[in-house]
Amino acid sequence: MKKQLRHAVNAGGIFGIITIFLFLIGFTGTAADLFSDLFRNKNAAPFLSLNPQMLNMLIFLGLIGLWAGAYGSRKSKSQTDDPWGAALIGGLTAGLVHGLLVSGLALLVGTLNLRGVRINVYLSELLPDAIKLFLVGKSPLQGATVHIVFLTLTGFLGGLLSRGVGRGSWRVRSGAAWNSILEKISQQSIVKQVRGSRNTRYVVYGILLLLVFLLPLRAGPYWNYTIGTVGIYVLLGLGLNIVVGLAGLLDLGYVAFFAIGAYTMALLTAPQPHHLMWSFWIALPIGVLLAALTGLLLGAPVLRMRGDYLAIVTLGFGEIIRILSKSDALTPFTGGPSGVKAIGFPTLFGKPFNSGVDFVYLIFLAVLLIIFVTNRLQNSRVGRAWEAMREDETVSRAMGINTLTQKLLAFAIGAAFAGLGGALFASRNVFTGPEDHNLMVSINVVAVVIVGGMGNIPGVIAGALMLKGLPEVLRQLEDYRVMVFGALLIVMMLWRPAGMIPSARRKMEVEKDKGVIETPDEGRGK
Amino acid sequence: MPNVKPPARRVTTYKIVQGIIGVVLAGYLIWRLFVVFIANPSYGPDTWARFAIAGLILGSVYALVAIGYTLVYGILRMINFAHGDIMMIGAFGGYFVFEALKSIPTPTLADPELTFLNAHPVLSVIAAFIVGVSIAALSGYFLEKIAYRPLRGAPRLVPLISAIGASIFLENAAQLLFGAQRRDYANPIVLTRGEGWGIPIGGSNVILTYTGVLTVVISTLIMIALYLLVMRTRLGRSMRAVSENKQVAALMGIDVDGVISRTFIISGALAGAAGVMWGIHLGLVYHFVGFIPGIKAFTAAVLGGIGNIPGAMIGGLFLGLVESLGPAGLGINFQLKDVIAFGILVLVLIFRPTGIIGEVLTEEKV
Repeated sequence: MKKQLRHAVNAGGIFGIITIFLFLIGFTGTAADLFSDLFRNKNAAPFLSLNPQMLNMLIFLGLIGLWAGAYGSRKSKSQTDDPWGAALIGGLTAGLVHGLLVSGLALLVGTLNLRGVRINVYLSELLPDAIKLFLVGKSPLQGATVHIVFLTLTGFLGGLLSRGVGRGSWRVRSGAAWNSILEKISQQSIVKQVRGSRNTRYVVYGILLLLVFLLPLRAGPYWNYTIGTVGIYVLLGLGLNIVVGLAGLLDLGYVAFFAIGAYTMALLTAPQPHHLMWSFWIALPIGVLLAALTGLLLGAPVLRMRGDYLAIVTLGFGEIIRILSKSDALTPFTGGPSGVKAIGFPTLFGKPFNSGVDFVYLIFLAVLLIIFVTNRLQNSRVGRAWEAMREDETVSRAMGINTLTQKLLAFAIGAAFAGLGGALFASRNVFTGPEDHNLMVSINVVAVVIVGGMGNIPGVIAGALMLKGLPEVLRQLEDYRVMVFGALLIVMMLWRPAGMIPSARRKMEVEKDKGVIETPDEGRGK
Repeated sequence: MPNVKPPARRVTTYKIVQGIIGVVLAGYLIWRLFVVFIANPSYGPDTWARFAIAGLILGSVYALVAIGYTLVYGILRMINFAHGDIMMIGAFGGYFVFEALKSIPTPTLADPELTFLNAHPVLSVIAAFIVGVSIAALSGYFLEKIAYRPLRGAPRLVPLISAIGASIFLENAAQLLFGAQRRDYANPIVLTRGEGWGIPIGGSNVILTYTGVLTVVISTLIMIALYLLVMRTRLGRSMRAVSENKQVAALMGIDVDGVISRTFIISGALAGAAGVMWGIHLGLVYHFVGFIPGIKAFTAAVLGGIGNIPGAMIGGLFLGLVESLGPAGLGINFQLKDVIAFGILVLVLIFRPTGIIGEVLTEEKV
């Protein structure tokens, strides 16, 4: 009982801090906006003197409260029985602590606001309107009471639901029944056949490809731009995947190679500052080669270092490239802070590729090419060498792999992909400047690779869709995106270090400890 | 790992390239020194003194942050990527103390508009340091507990990525909380930035700012205290033992997790002090303030040999001086001073990866 109480108080404290943090960064208001879009209740009549916006915010807080209660009612792992009383008291306590913390803050902020202190000078999200919303339009004391009562109630309810629905005896029974049904279906010969055959996979890929190729025709210019950006991030992700996922070298300056590709394309095809006006098709391979060459030149001294030095040196290199492209010293050569405008577009068989749709197709082609190359590389001798190196450098050296050459190769190929991405990016945007190549690009790409699944092509594509595509759908969450990236990196490392869609081999490594060894179906028997 | 017999020395291509780069760089440096000091002296001794003073002050801040990197690296063999952001948290702590004290009126007969900040400047600065240091130390503790402790024993890449995530999270959370604008540190009037003692050098007056002297004095005191802590106390001894060998330390009855926690608290406290000094001396604080100093301090730690505490101090001072004297000495644009720091990092890693003094890594130098 004492243990349960302590756990519940902890849970309430954690959730209290989370709720307070969400309020301070203005997320409670954003969530209310999101809900009002979802329920379409912006103009609904007030309920209990609460306008729809306040109700939506309370719904959001209530969800957190339920979660806090459910978490607080959890029993410890060593406990075998799961009594109702402990679960309910746990939920109630967690809710009470949660409510106390939140209402304390509401009281403080509300009183300060009443006294005319402009809190938003220091905490920029706490505008008077936001505070009014948080106090549901009442005086500080009343608002705080609302919070404490509401959060305690939802905490209790959370405990009730968690014990009754989540951990009830019927749940165990229904779970077993569901499993047996699944088992029966998978025993059928036809299911086995469809699953086992390689053609199924081809059919699925074919349908996906067809969908992807038809999509740009129906999507407007905005969505085509977004699809193109996602495509470029898939390119970059696949390139970095070789460096980080396969060879196990953490490169935080990946944007440098992207910038080299972009600037090569820009300087060779734009009228300013050099008036070269070369064709896109000449500039593209030059950009790719230059990026690969820079990769080699940077890699040669640096790849002998320990892995974590590499991360910082590449980070520094990325910053150097950005500072150089921005500096006055190189302005006559790179266009300086104002960047390069009017970058050339490709022409193929007399047809200029300058509309949004054309570029989406061009990017698709590049992505398909890179997927093909990556796939072949991954299953080749070189790919195996990379993976061996990632797992254990000493052993792989003993097996006769020249680790330095292999690392350089991985670095150069990854850089070449980034160069390709950069060249396409610059040509599509018709403009490139130093701020297109800041550290955030590197971090985005690292996040794409790690969240999606290191060393795995579908994982990288899923990661790019999730991290670059999803925020475009949820525009309101734009401000929180980068912070969520950071949190996601930590959470992924704690919870699924192999990524959302881990490669079969990595999955096997992670699950090895649990005694479940799956046969990897990838890269064998070819 | 068994002891591998070192292979016979032979001249590799890499060595040759290394030699060529070295000769070219050394030649360039000598030529530049000749130009700057003898052939075409464009700066007088007063300007050089100004650069040197600025470099020394900056270097003493870098040194404090670098020690934090080195302490953590020595014990966990990981780069605490979020260390610079802990410095930012400390800077914000000091900022809020100054803002709060500025709003407390303590009227006297002579000056009815006097605020607490100006009435008791010493107390105010002490309060800013205490708050900044404790908030930073606390964040260091929680950072380790949430983002690093569950990953102990994972492959090296895993905690590093987690640390990068923590750094991104802290920077952007600070931006969302406090807004993106740059804020002025409200120093007490006695510590107004840019004012100080004038020293006549080469015919003109070189100003030794009060804030700068405060920074150097405090960071020297902290470094001495830290040295005594690591070398003379029980905690310091257990820290050294854990950094030698965790298993054996645990067998000797040392609470390894506790020691690691305390190391993070100490390194966070150092970063917090550095943050408050950064704010008092340079005067600007915003969510990204810790990023570049963090990377430079890491460079300083590598320069001095990572894992080596005196090395980090010397590396920090050296980097501060080079960064401040470098652009003038090499005759390049002052915008490129960050490039010098990163360039030095790359060069050190090429020529002497163990740092100037040599790192203290007994084993597993993978």
